[in-house]
Amino acid sequence: MNVVFNFAGWLRRGMCLAVVFTSLCGFVLSAHGADSAVQVQLDTKKANPRAVESLTERGILRDYRFAWTSIAQAFELNSLDSLEGAFAGDAKQILRGTVLSQQRSGFTRQYLNQNHRLEAVFYAPEGDVMELHDTAEYELRITDGGKIIHDEHVVMHFVVLMTPGADRWVIRRLQAVPQS
Amino acid sequence: MHRVLLICAVLCSAACPLAAVAQDLRVPASVTAGDDVTIPTTGSGKATFYLVGPGVSRKSEVSLGEEIRLQGQELWNAGDYLVLVCSDICNSGTFYVTAAKPASFAFLVHPSRVPVGQSDAVSGVAFPFDQFRNLVLTPVTVSFQLTAGNKPLFSKQVRTENGAAWFRTASGKSAGLLQVVASLDDLSAKRAVQQVASDPCNLRITGQRIPIGVLVQTEPVHDCAGNVVPDGTIVTFSATEANGKSTVDAPIKQGIARAQIEATGATVVSVASGVVMGNELRIGAKP
Repeated sequence: MNVVFNFAGWLRRGMCLAVVFTSLCGFVLSAHGADSAVQVQLDTKKANPRAVESLTERGILRDYRFAWTSIAQAFELNSLDSLEGAFAGDAKQILRGTVLSQQRSGFTRQYLNQNHRLEAVFYAPEGDVMELHDTAEYELRITDGGKIIHDEHVVMHFVVLMTPGADRWVIRRLQAVPQS
Repeated sequence: MHRVLLICAVLCSAACPLAAVAQDLRVPASVTAGDDVTIPTTGSGKATFYLVGPGVSRKSEVSLGEEIRLQGQELWNAGDYLVLVCSDICNSGTFYVTAAKPASFAFLVHPSRVPVGQSDAVSGVAFPFDQFRNLVLTPVTVSFQLTAGNKPLFSKQVRTENGAAWFRTASGKSAGLLQVVASLDDLSAKRAVQQVASDPCNLRITGQRIPIGVLVQTEPVHDCAGNVVPDGTIVTFSATEANGKSTVDAPIKQGIARAQIEATGATVVSVASGVVMGNELRIGAKP
């Protein structure tokens, strides 16, 4: 009996420690995910008919990272302000529509631990538009009334059209596509 | 002991609330933009339905066992859509909306003004979009046609690759309007490029002495193909006399550039426009 009792006590302490540990790990991972920077890698080797200059490459990296940081903030906070600057045209309109309908519905989306592998596939002869393909990995978390209703690690493929603005590259089209 | 295990199991499931979520709804694999969709459900009672996609974030109450109907206007934007049906647990499913058939073009042509006779000087890019402004990624053939006056200058059929079709070609031989047309089935988009004369050719000047100096002017300025060089093009006159040199920049007006230069002694006047030099003119000293 003593052996059984001791085993039960050990099991109880062990299970509860595991629960506490799991909760703490979840909290730490969540906090890390919210704060971690958006990771973007860009490959321009396949860009044609125009080669991508190194300065342009740096600009694309900077502005694409900023764009996804803006999307994450806008969708998490249900705020339109975050969408200013990084988007234009249809992309901006669709993202605004998403945020506005989220505001009405009362739920939020979070894009955590974002990692984007970006490939330039088309760069117009005069440099006025670039098409990029993004293989994005992130944790998509949907929260309604403080309760997480969906949490999933996803791999998405996006077709992106970017054009140069006055001082940055802006996204004009951001379209998720099935993996080919 | 069983009670302890039960409590710990409950605590564990509270700490991991998503463990029961990974069930699938029967959603269509792919939908064309703007089409209506129905999603069957099983069970009974009420549930909360979520539609999470580009431009749409819908939350509504549904009755399990009945079909969930998604209106075409909720599915205008191509992209991925997540469907969640939550009662005790949440079931999820995803599907893609793809672009419908092309209904318009984004057609970019460069430059708006181009000198004649330049190789690879005119280029254009076309992106077909459907009626909901989704980029059409299914390959389609776009026809590019360039005409100057009524004469065809260039024609090419290009299959879109990743949604883009493009061309690049030389400018024509004559100044004037260049019409650039991209067409796909019954759709077309037109752009215009102004072709202007290239650099001046055979730049020649004449001149005469006048009371306040020297008056020089060019003959009508043409490029090597005989096109009149546009007004506003700068011609530089340089006058050299024994006591120094003076330079005057003059714009072409109605095909001719003109300048008055203060010079009293014997003067040699030369002319240039861009990298093109003209003849030299010697004018005697003021009597």
